[in-house]
Amino acid sequence: MSKSYTITLEISRYDPDTKLSWIQTYQVEVGGILRFVDVLRKVNDEQDPTLAWASSCEHAQCGSCGIIVNGKPLLACELLVRDAVEKFNTQKFTLKPLNIAPVLRDLVVDLEKAYDKVHEALPYLIKPAPPHPDGDEYRISPEKLDIYVEATRCINCFCCATACISSHRNFLGPNVTMANIVRLMDPRETAKEERMDILYREDGVYRCHTSRACSFVCPKEIDVSHFLALGKEGKF
Amino acid sequence: MGEKLTIDSTLRCDVLVIGAGGAGLRAAAQIGELRPGTKIIALTKVTSPQKSHTTTAQGGMAAVDPKDPVDKPIFHIFDTWKGSDCSADQNVIKKVCNMGWEEVVWLERNGMHFSRTEEGRIPKRPFGGHMLNFGETKAFRACYEADRTGKGIMDTVWNESLKHGVNFIGQCIATEILFKDNKCIGAIIFRYPEGKFLAILAKATIMATGGKTRMYLVSSNCRGNTGDGLAFALHAGIPIMDPEAVQFHPTGMVGPGILASEALRGEGAILRNKDKEPFMERYAPTAKDLAPRDLISRAIITEFREGRGLFHEGHNAQHVWLDLRHLPKEVHEKKIQEVCSFFKRFVGVDPEKDLCPVTPTAHYQMGGIPTNEFGEVQTDTQTIIPGLFACGEVAAASLHGLNRLGTNSLLELITLGKVTGERVVEYLKDAEDPEEISPDAGHIVFDQFSTYLNAQGTEKYAQIRETLRNLMMEKVGIFRTEKSLLEAIEGLKSLKERAMHIPIGITSLKANQDLWQIWELNNLITVSMVIAQGALARKESRGAHYREDYPERSNEFNYHTLVSMPEFNKITLGKRPIDMSIFEAKGERFELFDYIERKY
Ligand SMILES: Cc1cc2nc3c(=O)[nH]c(=O)nc-3n(C[C@H](O)[C@H](O)[C@H](O)COP(=O)(O)OP(=O)(O)OC[C@H]3O[C@@H](n4cnc5c(N)ncnc54)[C@H](O)[C@@H]3O)c2cc1C
Ligand code: SF4
Ligand code: SF4
Repeated sequence: MSKSYTITLEISRYDPDTKLSWIQTYQVEVGGILRFVDVLRKVNDEQDPTLAWASSCEHAQCGSCGIIVNGKPLLACELLVRDAVEKFNTQKFTLKPLNIAPVLRDLVVDLEKAYDKVHEALPYLIKPAPPHPDGDEYRISPEKLDIYVEATRCINCFCCATACISSHRNFLGPNVTMANIVRLMDPRETAKEERMDILYREDGVYRCHTSRACSFVCPKEIDVSHFLALGKEGKF
Repeated sequence: MGEKLTIDSTLRCDVLVIGAGGAGLRAAAQIGELRPGTKIIALTKVTSPQKSHTTTAQGGMAAVDPKDPVDKPIFHIFDTWKGSDCSADQNVIKKVCNMGWEEVVWLERNGMHFSRTEEGRIPKRPFGGHMLNFGETKAFRACYEADRTGKGIMDTVWNESLKHGVNFIGQCIATEILFKDNKCIGAIIFRYPEGKFLAILAKATIMATGGKTRMYLVSSNCRGNTGDGLAFALHAGIPIMDPEAVQFHPTGMVGPGILASEALRGEGAILRNKDKEPFMERYAPTAKDLAPRDLISRAIITEFREGRGLFHEGHNAQHVWLDLRHLPKEVHEKKIQEVCSFFKRFVGVDPEKDLCPVTPTAHYQMGGIPTNEFGEVQTDTQTIIPGLFACGEVAAASLHGLNRLGTNSLLELITLGKVTGERVVEYLKDAEDPEEISPDAGHIVFDQFSTYLNAQGTEKYAQIRETLRNLMMEKVGIFRTEKSLLEAIEGLKSLKERAMHIPIGITSLKANQDLWQIWELNNLITVSMVIAQGALARKESRGAHYREDYPERSNEFNYHTLVSMPEFNKITLGKRPIDMSIFEAKGERFELFDYIERKY
């Protein structure tokens, strides 16, 4: 068997009926190659079925399981126990819900509300360019696509928005702003004016103060702040 | 538990989409395009449609560009027929394959970020079972966005639905469909955040709840793929077609079973056993590592059985190797970037340098709610149920028969999603608003929830879930026998009974994960039972369904299985003929569309 660990979890809990919050401590014996979602499932299975947490695909493609571990927003499905022990240099972990939406229970937040902002960025092509004369797909060179393809990989997990201090106040947030910038860079979008209005509005890109926290935490390793910088410079 | 369960309020719309995944939202976008102003509500269990399971699809979507110099739709039609082991419906195959390219173009025009060739066009890669000239050599047919094609598709149909004003309701489960005079009039849903029941009345309802293989120990499916849609369809008296046809993908990452796409083998990866032998050469001399999935999965299990597998200590599981070391750096970094990162993160191996441990993983269910080629749901006598439609993985039209080729599912979602949308628009022309819900609406879920909330047993949820997953993997998995299936059926009866007594942690209805999961577990047990019963009845081997006691395909079983189960284990079996219209039309090469031998 691979190495096992005894880890301590200090989890922020919240009960929507009583509106009480508290910290609960669990000790768990786990194999090093288990993910934090497996650890949470183990807590449910063996110790406490009432602890609520969210996940869906459990392999970093849907962005449902974001939580804050020892201060860092990340995806619980991606963090292996042995890597966590090494990275944070401890066997004790504090787990908190993301702070960009209301908590529903324990580690589960109402991401549905957070998505309202994504919708504000109008992630679709507002006015697609006319089709190619051959009637098939637009031609986009691989070089052109390379400039913005990384930004299209965003899964809206809101880890960056959690890390970004501005986004808690009066900023649409890094991922949402980037979604708009992707379409500004997309040669198929013709409604550039409307997009610029969103980009430069009151809670737009200039609320970003280039701390780069977003790039630092992004589980998909997208350099979010690079795209925001391009947005500020109007380079799209 | 004192709270009385009641319906909190009623919403009304023109179209209710149960399942805002790739298929459901392709249908919704089509309705929005053809009939602006249609009031559409789309439901999902997750927080946003963007997080539906379609977003995890990796490798590609099959489509033949009519201007392609070497590939032709007829080859794709043939491959799909042969891949299904002669059990898919030819009218459906023909329709879907002929529509593929226009749908790729639709996706691209609506903003999907396909990868690009040097000429700026959509690139294509080979995939298992897709060949040129009726099975001669591999075809380049899978259109892709790196190894996140599903994400590109999901984002696009979600975006288009948003643009057309579809109203999304997330974090909810539909729990039963409602009928009045045999016409479907909507559904009851339960919302997780507030713990409230709502009735949604609709002129037309589309079921698109997706996949359902979470009953297997190793599965590539997401946490919520628990067969809810099939369970409530069964309850409503609708049969499930070909439930025995469960696809095991040969290359799941050892451990949780996360998928390592066939695109890897499309790009040149090779399977190797303990002795590093590229063993697929023995099982499929022509197609080798790109043989269809059922064949490769059986080959891997055979390697295990004959002592040529390996054992992964950390995950306590057998595996073989997938070798990607010889692929160019450029391929690792650009074409299969996501999957390579999964191997690094979840398994701790670097595919550029190390061999990757893989094992078959339950992946896809070919069977589902029977529909015709327009997405209209049928009863066991092939009568259409007015107002009820189905598309996507939950439905069976049937494009795949007993075995699906890779990249044909994304194709199905988008093509039949569109067709279903068109049919719904037709239907809306003279559809009337449903008047009221019947007074007993909701009683199914109220009974279920009351049982779960008041249960006083001692056996925990996790024990029953794990017993189920092991039972299905061992006895209703890649290899099946009459004995294993009968044992599974007995096991499932016992699990069903035991699941009624699971002690519950929280009795409030708000954000009650425990309650939600116990409800899902019951659905898994229900769907497992129809899988086992279908498998028991099909005394032959065909496609993904393999009976060790009947290893050959038999003409006696040239039909689709229909399993009805309005009450648990009250089974009625029926049949639906296989559509052979291409063969019967006696056109060019029609003889290939007979019940042909399947060799790769
Ligand atoms: C890892 C992986 C990789 C794949 N790769 C490929 C590929 O490369 N090519 C290919 O062709 N196919 C691929 N497939 C198969 C294909 O992706 C799926 O068959 C397809 O995405 C299913 O789409 P769908 O729209 O039917 O369902 P989904 O996208 O799963 O959507 C179902 C929706 O229904 C909702 N839902 C479910 N139950 C309820 C309920 N009770 N109430 C309300 N809502 C509900 C869900 O929350 C979700 O929103 C892959 C599958 C997996 C798992
Ligand atoms: S940019 Fe990265 S961190 Fe931010 S939402 Fe997207 S994937 Fe998550
Ligand atoms: S760089 Fe900008 S967007 Fe990113 S975290 Fe800092 S302020 Fe927020």
